[in-house]
Amino acid sequence: MAVFRLQGTRVLAVDLAGDAVKAKKGAMVAYDGEVTFKKMTGGGEGLRGLVTRRITGEAMAVMEVKGTGTVYFADRATEINLVRLTGEKLHVEASNLLVTEPSLRTGTTFTGLRGASQGNGLFTTTVEGAGQAAIMSDGPAIVLRVTPGTPLVVDPGAYVAHTGNLRQQLRSYVGLRTLIGEGSGESFRIHFEGDGLVYVQPSERSTIGGDV
Amino acid sequence: MTHPAGGPVVHDAATLPSNDNVNPYAFSVDLEGQWFLQKGKMIAYYGQIDFHAIGHGPLDHLIAANFHSPLHASAWVVAQGRGKMLLADRAYDINSYDLDEGNLTIRSGNLLAFQPGLTLKQSIIPGFLTLLGTGKFVAASNGAVHFVEPPIRVDPQALVGWADCPSPCHHYDHAYMRGVLGGIRALTGLGGASGEEHQFEFSGAGQVLLQSTEQLMPEADTGGVPASAGPGVPGAQRPGSRS
Repeated sequence: MAVFRLQGTRVLAVDLAGDAVKAKKGAMVAYDGEVTFKKMTGGGEGLRGLVTRRITGEAMAVMEVKGTGTVYFADRATEINLVRLTGEKLHVEASNLLVTEPSLRTGTTFTGLRGASQGNGLFTTTVEGAGQAAIMSDGPAIVLRVTPGTPLVVDPGAYVAHTGNLRQQLRSYVGLRTLIGEGSGESFRIHFEGDGLVYVQPSERSTIGGDV
Repeated sequence: MTHPAGGPVVHDAATLPSNDNVNPYAFSVDLEGQWFLQKGKMIAYYGQIDFHAIGHGPLDHLIAANFHSPLHASAWVVAQGRGKMLLADRAYDINSYDLDEGNLTIRSGNLLAFQPGLTLKQSIIPGFLTLLGTGKFVAASNGAVHFVEPPIRVDPQALVGWADCPSPCHHYDHAYMRGVLGGIRALTGLGGASGEEHQFEFSGAGQVLLQSTEQLMPEADTGGVPASAGPGVPGAQRPGSRS
């Protein structure tokens, strides 16, 4: 059973006892013990996963980290957040996924226009099962709960991940005033409704719709 | 943010702080009415909130009373409605400040949002904005903000803003101007020794705000004033004239 420990907020230590985790390729910064690193083609999801990822453009460079010892992961000093899943599904951009436990399955799913507005493509990565995953964000992620009575609206550039039973809808607020140069700067927003958690980062990626 | 054994802290519409920081990098506005904010700094919100560009529209009256910087109009919007709104900027430190019948001048790129109790005016110092009145405003800085009292000389890049004191002046070290090399430097701007020969000098009573780095935040506007302002107005550039 792999044990995830955060060292500060930007380095993740994983204790391995003969088992394996999936990690973003190149994210290892140090290790001790006997550990091997093996590239997994197509996100380690088999031939079908490989083809799906090629077609959808949701590329995920993943390596399998296996052995006994402690491995330290970090990526460009971004903040690392641990997410414990108990059977639900986590939606996250492939570039924000750092490490997953072997008990978790990863896959791709269609997100529609939200992905397009983020410049991340029309597909996103899903993580399913029971276990821990580590996701990255620019600045510590803020976890916001969505309930049926309190829907949440998120800027596409600040969205990192979500879990639970949520419906998401990209809404455009482009109007006549946008066309005459009086845009609000918040012309594209994702509405989340239902029951679940949304992870946002205190920073905005530059997105296609960001300046409109 | 700390991660207790049970997982990360989960916020919802009721538990988000009211007009306070969620963590050092994000600020939660309890909106009931209007706030001015810089475009694109909203990251998420609960409730019913509309964003109105500054220009023609239903908020003409509010803008006429509180917003006096045509140059920055395209970079600002008014959030109107009711709910909790999160603000953040490139994962920089966010702090809120209260002004009570005060005045504060701040680098335009650092100011994120302010309450309509305050009035925004363009400072006569290019690139800076002045807030007057009573209310709360939110500013971002690269690293924590330090408050110091004049008399003090500060590095131009570390300056975030100042409150209640006279506007600063430039200060050059004497050696910078002296000798042959100094003359060349003065004439051409080439060379230089330590990079610390030039400072901003503050005097009088008040407070000066500094950030912990000398890395400037990219600014949307330089804060010049229209060419029609004419001679004698700092920042006004007539076509064809040299700065």
